[in-house]
Amino acid sequence: MMIETVKLTKSFKGKNVVDEINFYIDEGESVGLLGPNGAGKSTTISVISSLIKPSAGDVKLYGKSIIKNPAAIRKILGIVPQEIALYEELSAYENLKFFGEIYKVKRSVLEERIQEILDMVGLRERQKELVKTFSGGMKRRVNIGAALLHRPKIIILDEPTVGIDPQSRNHILETVQKLNKENGTTILYTSHYMEEVEQLCKRVYIMDHGKIVASGSKTELLNILSSEDTIKIHLNETSDDILKKIQQIESVRHVDETDDGIRIISKKGNNILSSLIHTVESQGAEITNYQIETPSLEDVFLHLTGRTLRD
Amino acid sequence: MFAVFKTQIRKELRSPWALILLLVGSIVLTLIFANIDQDTSTTVPIFSTEEKKEEVLNKWEPLLNKNSNFNFVVEEDTAARKLVEEGEHTAVLQLFEHDYRLITNSSMPAVQMLEDYVHMLFTTEAQLQAAAGNNNVAALRAEVESYLQEAPLQIQTEALDGGEVPDYNMGLQLLFGFTLFMAMFTIGFQVNAVSADRANGVWDRMILSPISKTAMYTGHLCYSFFIGFLQVGLVFLIFRYILHYDLGGHLGMILFVAAIFSLSMVSVAMLFTGFIKTPEQFQVIYSSVIPIIPVISGVYMPPGTLSNPILLFIADLFPLQHAMNSLMDIALYGAGWDDIALQIAFMLLIGVICMGVGINLIERRNN
Repeated sequence: MMIETVKLTKSFKGKNVVDEINFYIDEGESVGLLGPNGAGKSTTISVISSLIKPSAGDVKLYGKSIIKNPAAIRKILGIVPQEIALYEELSAYENLKFFGEIYKVKRSVLEERIQEILDMVGLRERQKELVKTFSGGMKRRVNIGAALLHRPKIIILDEPTVGIDPQSRNHILETVQKLNKENGTTILYTSHYMEEVEQLCKRVYIMDHGKIVASGSKTELLNILSSEDTIKIHLNETSDDILKKIQQIESVRHVDETDDGIRIISKKGNNILSSLIHTVESQGAEITNYQIETPSLEDVFLHLTGRTLRD
Repeated sequence: MFAVFKTQIRKELRSPWALILLLVGSIVLTLIFANIDQDTSTTVPIFSTEEKKEEVLNKWEPLLNKNSNFNFVVEEDTAARKLVEEGEHTAVLQLFEHDYRLITNSSMPAVQMLEDYVHMLFTTEAQLQAAAGNNNVAALRAEVESYLQEAPLQIQTEALDGGEVPDYNMGLQLLFGFTLFMAMFTIGFQVNAVSADRANGVWDRMILSPISKTAMYTGHLCYSFFIGFLQVGLVFLIFRYILHYDLGGHLGMILFVAAIFSLSMVSVAMLFTGFIKTPEQFQVIYSSVIPIIPVISGVYMPPGTLSNPILLFIADLFPLQHAMNSLMDIALYGAGWDDIALQIAFMLLIGVICMGVGINLIERRNN
């Protein structure tokens, strides 16, 4: 076990932002930390990386606490913060050089290392340009590059794809995948984009309100919903009354309105179609489309927390 | 530390305009205000409505202009009245053969000083007139003046070293004052880079690197000191060797005081950083407070003008007052190390206290 947290708690003004969480990361693993905004992911990362001290509990690196000796984790850690932590008035090359210098990368290898990373993040051709002239996606790529100069054993990425174009997003995801598969770098990836975590991580921790509400591989998490069906229906007209009436159907566990229809989570095996048609028609509406979906991690999150990831 | 220092220099070279503007600003302000200040006399329009107007004005105008503090200029009656009515002059003087009338639009102390001077002149002339009787008044005046040159009781002044007491040089005071004032801004804006790094996340990244916090602070603060000192030093050297200002014979000591001042101001700026949360707040608050310091330190006024003990106490809490005293003592009176030791000690003390409190506040907030 490379990193382990034991009843990790962090309070701000009497409120537990991180509440007695336990998790572990094995060496070479790619682990996702999933949760909506305000779930406590960034605070958890700050404590693990030794940036802030926990109010209670412990963080262990190879079984030894890092609370009193943060240097141990700092040596092998590369952190990609959520915000663009770069000097915008300097070029990509100058930024990487600065971070290489503060990480005490030997001068003889620094130049080679910078070019290698610029290749990896796809910015070699634009290395002399100022960061402030870059698009959001390019800035985020430099932001990641700055964490790789000292070849860390573990990289923590805090929502590295927020607000960027799909091309840059794909580039970042490929880079992270490459780091994990080809270099054996351990990854802790936080996001509120379910599909990213599904793509990158073998194991996932789901956080909400400062607690870990579920954990496991994708299959294990999906099994949580093995006793439920996700049904999506389209109506010719919708109202709050119809949603309330559907909710009252005996086997229905959850109803919510999404961008493309009404999502219903019900007990597996109960054929609720006839009840649904009856309920909808009693409200003067009609079902125009009906489909039973394979559950996704998004459905698991909804099931566990009662809200969607983007809430 | 060197990585932080070098990066700050790279940032500065990328956008050096603020630094250049402050450097040029201190030179331009000194040139403008120091030159204006050399002509300290107050212009007072004079006129007469007497029948023998020419005769009256010809008599009093040269007598009035014997005092270099005032410059009496003959004007037409209506033009003179209009000047005071429109507020272009505070007072004008109407002259009669043996009397005068002061027409004023305010009761400022300067008007009282003018009245005192004119009153004394007319009284003296009346006394001379009375003493001369039917004889020539001009001859008696010349006799009195000649007598006063060799009067039995005379005041003699000499400097502490026995030499001549130098004239106070207001231009020099303004040179030092504006230069240090502009350097306070430069230093503050450089120290604000600590807040900026904290706000954009670079500070946290540095904390998680092998670089120590001491090295992080030292890199930033050494750079702020370096830029502040460079600015002050450059301005002094430009005035000394290009504009040929007389800065006295101890340029090395002057630069030493500038270095201690820069060091102390870095600490004061650090104290501000400790109290303030964001770089934007720092810019607003620092830029609002700093211009007050030269005013309460009496930088723009002749010495002794400010006597309020509270203001003098507040001024003593900032390095500017001590640096100004040291610089003027060195440049004007040739003060030695012993003479400025106390002022240097005050600046260092301010530096140590402000730095300690400032860093402590920043670290507390981090925790």
